[in-house]
Amino acid sequence: MLRTSRFVPYLYLTPAALLLAFTFGYPLIAIFDFSVRRIRGASGPFVGLENYRQVLNDSVFHLSVAHNAQLLLAVPILLGIGLLLAILLYERPRFWPLYRTLLFLPYILAVPLIGVVFSNMLQLNGVINEILRAIGLRALALDWLGSAGLALWSVMGVIIWREVGFGMTLFLARLQSLNEEVTEAARIDGANWWQRAIYVTIPQLRGVIEFYIVVSIITMLAWVFSYVYVMTRGGPGNATIVIEMYLYNFAFRNALPGVASAVAVILFLFTLALTIPLFRLRAQALEEDRT
Amino acid sequence: MSWWGEQEAPGLENWLKGSIALFEKETGHKVIPTLQDTTVVVSEFQTASAANNAPDIQYLWNGIYHMESVWLGYVEPLNDWIPEELLKASNATSLSIFGGKQYRLGWYAVPYMWAYNKEMFDRAGLNADQPPKTWDEFLNACDRLKASGVIPVVGGLKDGPWGEWFLGHSLTQNLDSAGEAIDLFIGARDWRDPLHWEPWARLEALWKAGYLNDDLNSIDLYPGIDLFGAGKGAITIIVGPLVPKMQSLLGADKVGVMVMPVFGKGKMAGKPLADTQGLGISSQSKHKRIAADFLIFLNRPERVSALWEQVKQLPANANWDGSVITDPVIKQIWQEWMHGDNVPYVSNLMPTLFWTDAMFVNSQKIIAGEYNGEQAGQNAYEVTQKWIAQNPDMVEKYRQWATELKL
Repeated sequence: MLRTSRFVPYLYLTPAALLLAFTFGYPLIAIFDFSVRRIRGASGPFVGLENYRQVLNDSVFHLSVAHNAQLLLAVPILLGIGLLLAILLYERPRFWPLYRTLLFLPYILAVPLIGVVFSNMLQLNGVINEILRAIGLRALALDWLGSAGLALWSVMGVIIWREVGFGMTLFLARLQSLNEEVTEAARIDGANWWQRAIYVTIPQLRGVIEFYIVVSIITMLAWVFSYVYVMTRGGPGNATIVIEMYLYNFAFRNALPGVASAVAVILFLFTLALTIPLFRLRAQALEEDRT
Repeated sequence: MSWWGEQEAPGLENWLKGSIALFEKETGHKVIPTLQDTTVVVSEFQTASAANNAPDIQYLWNGIYHMESVWLGYVEPLNDWIPEELLKASNATSLSIFGGKQYRLGWYAVPYMWAYNKEMFDRAGLNADQPPKTWDEFLNACDRLKASGVIPVVGGLKDGPWGEWFLGHSLTQNLDSAGEAIDLFIGARDWRDPLHWEPWARLEALWKAGYLNDDLNSIDLYPGIDLFGAGKGAITIIVGPLVPKMQSLLGADKVGVMVMPVFGKGKMAGKPLADTQGLGISSQSKHKRIAADFLIFLNRPERVSALWEQVKQLPANANWDGSVITDPVIKQIWQEWMHGDNVPYVSNLMPTLFWTDAMFVNSQKIIAGEYNGEQAGQNAYEVTQKWIAQNPDMVEKYRQWATELKL
């Protein structure tokens, strides 16, 4: 047996560790550093927690947080629709590969492209409203993006339309790796479609569902900027501003990277605080499964 | 060289490439142009400067869009590099000067105006050769245009600039100088004074009277202006470079231009708004002499004439012979907006926080029915206080700038 020093494995790991430290560690440290300075250009004076104080006292930031929280409502919707579609496709109806492709298609389209198309379609005098008017549903032809009460729901609808394909594919892939005998046994025992889904199929998907919930929460908190930027720019009148958009405004428009960094740190810590318990729950569940 | 402009003046890129080829042939110095995206013109230059990697020549929008970079020490004053006569002739406007130094050289003209459809005016029984000058005349015109079956005023607010343009035209009306606009932005004047929230009250009145397109909040600036070009609206707010496009869509004889009708009592009310796009030199450039020579080269009479002949853009350079303009509307713009009794475009003095949190928000909330003029003024006041708290180091610079602009 080849004997090596116990330090050798660490030596092999060092290049990758250094690369990770540089690509993730350095920006993280820099953001924490920026967040306590009034940055002009590349540096600036230390201002303590002043940037945090300003952000936390800003009503626009509160609004952004509220909007991200509202977008979290999309998570159970995404989960429900994704599961339903996956289970329906798992039954292998006629042309199911075609349906699967069509339902996954939005997910491979670039967000800016989808944003531009939908922002045109959802205009007050856009295609959707023209169709509604043509079929006599004039009362439903609303100002989807121009009305403060509707705009965020419209953006959420577009997010769901695009993102649901990912969940569906994830669940379907897991379903296809399951032992079909269990489902078949339930069928023979007289379980109907609904009972099979609730008591047999979904419990076997627990792991992937938990993973999908975590990913979707992160998406709604930190990955919706492109939708908002392209579709509404945060308007009308801040009605769709989200934390990322607020951060972007300070970083790139208002030339205050210090304030933007404070927002980034808050967002980072909040997302971390939300996802760590979820991962812990997942680990706990795995442990229980083993025992 | 990093530049912008093809987006609003199609053909500029070819003109620039031709100019670079001629300059290289004459001097042997190479110029590499990089066309920038609209969203990064300011931030990219500041980031590159912070990293000590700025381009030698940078496209600079007027006013605060380059003045913050000046205050950060990223832009070279041009006075030591370019002859005083050319600096003056380039029409960079007073918003390019700080501490007695000029930081931009004007390139092409961007006058701000209101355009109207003469045919629609005729059909509504209005005198198309005498567009409304006062607010009452304007409301009367809107009333008659609406009665004739057309939308009186069209635009698009979703992306923001239409609100900026409207404020730029109307805010000046109760001010005596551009410096007074800065006073508002740094809290030396109060937005809660009805005199200063009047622009938003006027917008609210137009909306409530049904004089604006109903989808104003759901479409962007250019689709809004395109409604005018498509003959779906009688009046729009526009910039000079877009006028030829409207003429080609509607017919040259059907497009008229006018100053925003007057409601205010300030010295700047009723005067044409003049602005120019411009170029400057990075303070980090190791080739300042060559960069300056290139800017001077772009202002040679032959190059300035070519800008008009090839791109149909009005050159900023006052030495250009405007008598070659044959179109009466373009000639009117050249004479009245660029060389008449004009005033600077005060929206260029707006801190970006005011742009995102006050101007953008106020105009959209008024159209959404969430704000009235007074509430818009209150929000503008609060945003101003927020900006002051976040930018204590900038306030003094602004104050000095305000003093200079009042002289």
